[in-house]
Amino acid sequence: MSVKADLIQRLSSLPTVPVMANRLVHLLNDPDARPGEISRVIQYDSALTANILKAANSSFLGFTQPVTSLDEATVRLGTNWVFQIAVSSLIYSNLRQPAAGYGMSADETWRHSMAVAVMAEALRDLLHLTSIGTVFTAALLHDIGKIPMGEFVADAFPALQELVDEGNASFEEAEQAILEVDHAEIGALIARQWRFPEAIVDCIRWHHYPEKAPVITPAIDLVHVADAICLLEGLGIGRDDLHYRLCESSIERLRLNQDTTEKAVSQTMAALDAINAAFINAPAVRVGR
Amino acid sequence: MSLIVVGISDLQTSGDPQDVFITYSLGSCIGVTAYDPAARIGGMIHYMLPLSQIAPDKAAARPAMFADTGVPALLNTLLSQGAAKNRLVVKAVGGAQLMDQHKLFNIGERNFLILRKILWKNNILIKASDVGGMMSRTLRLELDTGRVTVKSSHGEVEL
Ligand SMILES: [Fe+2]
Ligand SMILES: [Fe+2]
Repeated sequence: MSVKADLIQRLSSLPTVPVMANRLVHLLNDPDARPGEISRVIQYDSALTANILKAANSSFLGFTQPVTSLDEATVRLGTNWVFQIAVSSLIYSNLRQPAAGYGMSADETWRHSMAVAVMAEALRDLLHLTSIGTVFTAALLHDIGKIPMGEFVADAFPALQELVDEGNASFEEAEQAILEVDHAEIGALIARQWRFPEAIVDCIRWHHYPEKAPVITPAIDLVHVADAICLLEGLGIGRDDLHYRLCESSIERLRLNQDTTEKAVSQTMAALDAINAAFINAPAVRVGR
Repeated sequence: MSLIVVGISDLQTSGDPQDVFITYSLGSCIGVTAYDPAARIGGMIHYMLPLSQIAPDKAAARPAMFADTGVPALLNTLLSQGAAKNRLVVKAVGGAQLMDQHKLFNIGERNFLILRKILWKNNILIKASDVGGMMSRTLRLELDTGRVTVKSSHGEVEL
């Protein structure tokens, strides 16, 4: 059996993403959703509500008056912020797993996912691409395919490494050449199985090769560039190291310049502290002081 | 021996010869070690970006994020702890890039350039460096001997 067929068979035994995450994503993308709808859905989950309030009251945000309800959190911090903390905690508690063959522990996998999500949002804001509701979730899940792929990558690692070192292949190209499947492809299958919107599936599928997407969206470019910057800045480097290509046309399409890129990096570092305060049972992701 | 991890956007100094500094995941970031062999005082920084002018508020909160605020902070801390500028042995590592990397993203190259400028202004030479390429690096400094090592997918070497 091919690695791909084997993987597809195993997808059904992967932990599922909670229904709530999916519902929130669809709600955020629904132009007809009423204001306040997101907090109305969240309020029935008391653990989730507690996490959001904890995040809202973290010292990083610096409010002197405590935030005591979801509605108050929404007013002070915005729907998008509440959504991001909600989706992050749901994915965190269910999908925080190591990507073994890639040399990434569960914490490191999480740290990378969160960094790419925060970076993508920072870029989106700085570039005034305000209408994209999918970027955060897509970025959070972009490498999800590495979790089931890990075992196969571990077995094939010497061959993958050789192709990368000698053949000038990117790591994803090496996966495709040797395993006949890559982590972006598997990740997209997983997101589709969870019934996430196709816009999210596409971001995951093409996160290393935006130009291969049938329709190139700003969201795909954003996730790609955010991932590349996080790798460069050391926010989640595994055994696959820096062996990925940067798609120049993504930068041109986004009209991204050096200043904006560097601003996004500095904002991401600050935002990571605040957002990581949301995860009750988790040690804060440490990125310096 | 106590191993002190220098995080991303972090700087640490010490005069305890038992201490060993280490920093991981240097991609386009630069790790700098500075060591006074006579006073056996040393320090390490892991900065991400060249110039703080793009975000002065972030630089105020975390000077070690930027070369132009972090490197002077490292030097000043060492000098205030008794190191002598003319004895400082400075080494630098990192500044890597991705495959097909666009000029715009040449943060690594810019990071190294600004370091050389800052040190030049301070009359300090870079004794050894291992920069560029497409691999991430781990940097280590032992305070009792001043030994500096760099580890990457190509193995571990002394710098
Ligand atoms: Fe990836
Ligand atoms: Fe990634």
